[in-house]
Order: sequence, then structure tokens, then C-alpha cells
Amino acid sequence: MDNPLDTQEKYSKYVDKKSPNSPILKNCFNAFWVGGLICSIGQIIANFCKYQGMEQQSANTVVSIILIGLAAFLTGLNIFNKIGKFAGAGSLIPITGFANSIVSPAIEYKSEGYVMGVGGKMFTVAGPVLVFGISASVIIGIIATFFVGG
Amino acid sequence: MNKLGKQTIKFDAPPTISQTASIVGPKEAQGPMAKYFDQCLDDEFWGEKTWEKAESKIIKETTNMVIAKSGIASNEIDFCFAGDLLNQCISSSFGLREINIPFFGVFGACSTFVESMSLGSVFIESGAAKNVICATSSHFCSAEKQFRFPLELGNQRPPTSQWTVTGSGAVILSASGQGPYITHITPGKIVDMGIKDANNMRCCYGACSF
Repeated sequence: MDNPLDTQEKYSKYVDKKSPNSPILKNCFNAFWVGGLICSIGQIIANFCKYQGMEQQSANTVVSIILIGLAAFLTGLNIFNKIGKFAGAGSLIPITGFANSIVSPAIEYKSEGYVMGVGGKMFTVAGPVLVFGISASVIIGIIATFFVGG
Repeated sequence: MNKLGKQTIKFDAPPTISQTASIVGPKEAQGPMAKYFDQCLDDEFWGEKTWEKAESKIIKETTNMVIAKSGIASNEIDFCFAGDLLNQCISSSFGLREINIPFFGVFGACSTFVESMSLGSVFIESGAAKNVICATSSHFCSAEKQFRFPLELGNQRPPTSQWTVTGSGAVILSASGQGPYITHITPGKIVDMGIKDANNMRCCYGACSF
């Protein structure tokens, strides 16, 4: 009989075959409509601000502030993680997911003190995004300056 | 006590599991085994301020409970074998600091409890101890915090992810008694089949069971 424990490759294949897969279609559908809903809310806020006489750029800033504030607030109420579990990337990709990824470690590590706990561990989840996001923007900025004639 | 085959130890005078105690969290209390636990908690913090302090309290109260149930005076218990999942086994070392019984910290992740009972039975069989206490604890929230993501993070867990038990179990092993007995022990070897998914611990451990 073929023994899946013979080699690491065989075991890896065996595990892949036996493990239940994530329900991709369902996840995609939920991510699609929740993500779309969050973006629509953002657009409604932006249109409302412009209707009130704000410029496009200021309206965009107000949208970010409101959505970040809302996501942080819902994280504190233990509601955002339920939305995230349901919607996956739908709530993760918009700016709401970024707010959640900073607020959630802040809450979790509050028990280790405000300086080393909240302050030190706040970026454990979002840290890589910041490091590589900022690095990438610096590199692209340099390229744009020298080659595109920024 | 002698060795059978490659890795099994057979006891001549098998130690007895003379008393047991268990305390579990709210989710475990919803399961089919709820009626077998001594105490089920409604609150994962159990009145403490942090998950780690709550876990320490759970293992402390479980060991106190097993000693009280057994009727054995705590100065007649010779050694304590205990461990948990957290760094430096802080739940058991802080939880059991007032127990005043010589302490062996044990770490074997999921196998910690069986490992502590195996070591305890060798101590009893060898005559070094008459009674030993073996205890283990884990807490879903402290384990997620240490090994995975903050609980408030809105991420999706894959279907293979498991739930770390919130709770603690403790037993007293004695040289003589009514049973159940520990007649043999077979410790496993470390087997690394190259599974890298922290959400699929069962498949990491599965290979070690053979």
C-alpha cells in the first residue's frame, strides 16, 4: 500500500487531498457585495460632501476619516471581526481593513501596558504593509522623478 | 519497569490515576462532554484582567480541586509535573507558585498532559514518589494571541483551523489504588513532514502518531 508518510511531498499531497477547501465561490460572492457596499457608502459620503460645496480632494479625505473611524469603532465593539469573518477580503481590502489591522493588536496587547504593549505591538499586523508600501512608493517616486519627468 | 520493543516502557506495579479534576471555558461547556467536567466557566476572563492571568487561575483552581477531591494532604504529594502552551510555561509556573510542591515544567504542546503523566508514572514506579500531580492548561485567547492573530482582527480562518481548548485538567497518580492504571507508556518521536500552515496543526501532529 502507498504510505503517505514516506516522504514530505507525499504527505503534503495527502494532506491537500484530505483537507476541506475554503468555500471559494461563497467567499468571493460575500467579499464582492460587502466590499462593494463599503465602497458605495464611501461614494455616498463623497457625493454628499461635494453637494455641500467641498472640493473633490477634501471630500476624499472626509471619506477616509469616516470609514477609518467607523472601522476602528466597530473593532472596539467586537463587531468588525464578525464582518471580516463573513466578508473576508471584502472588508479587508478597503481602508476599513487597514484600520482594523491596527486597532485589533492595540486592543489585544493593551494588557501588556500602554507603551510596550499598545505602542510597541500596534503594528504587528499592519507593519509589513507599511514597510513595503512606503518602500515601494519611495522607489516608484524616484523612478517617476528621473524617468517620467515628475 | 522495563523496555519493550523500540520505545515502550512496561510498568511492573502500574501507577493508579487516583483522582481527576477539570475546569473548562464556555465553548467547551456547550459540547457533548460538558457533563464530565467538574466546572464550566461562563466568562473567559474568570474575573481576571488578561487571558494569561485567567489561564493561570484556571490551572491553579484545577490543581486545588484535584487535591481537595483526592483527600490526600498536599505535603504527601511529592512532585508536580505541569505545563501549558505559553512562553516559559507562564500559566503553570505563575498559577502553581503557591502550591508548594517540587515542580517540573513540561512542554509538549498538545501532548503535554500525556507527557507529564508518563514522567510522573516513571517517578512512581521507580519509588522516587508515592503521589504526583500532573496538570496542563491552555486558553483559546492566550494561544491565538501568542501564535496567530489578535482576536479582533477581521480575518477568515480556513476550514482546517482548530480551536485551542480553554481549560485545564489535573490528575493525581498514586503508587497504590483502585485504578485505572497506567500499564505502559510509548513516547513518540519528533516527525517533521514539512507542514507549514499554522492553521492546520492536526496534520502537523498527525504524522507523529505513528
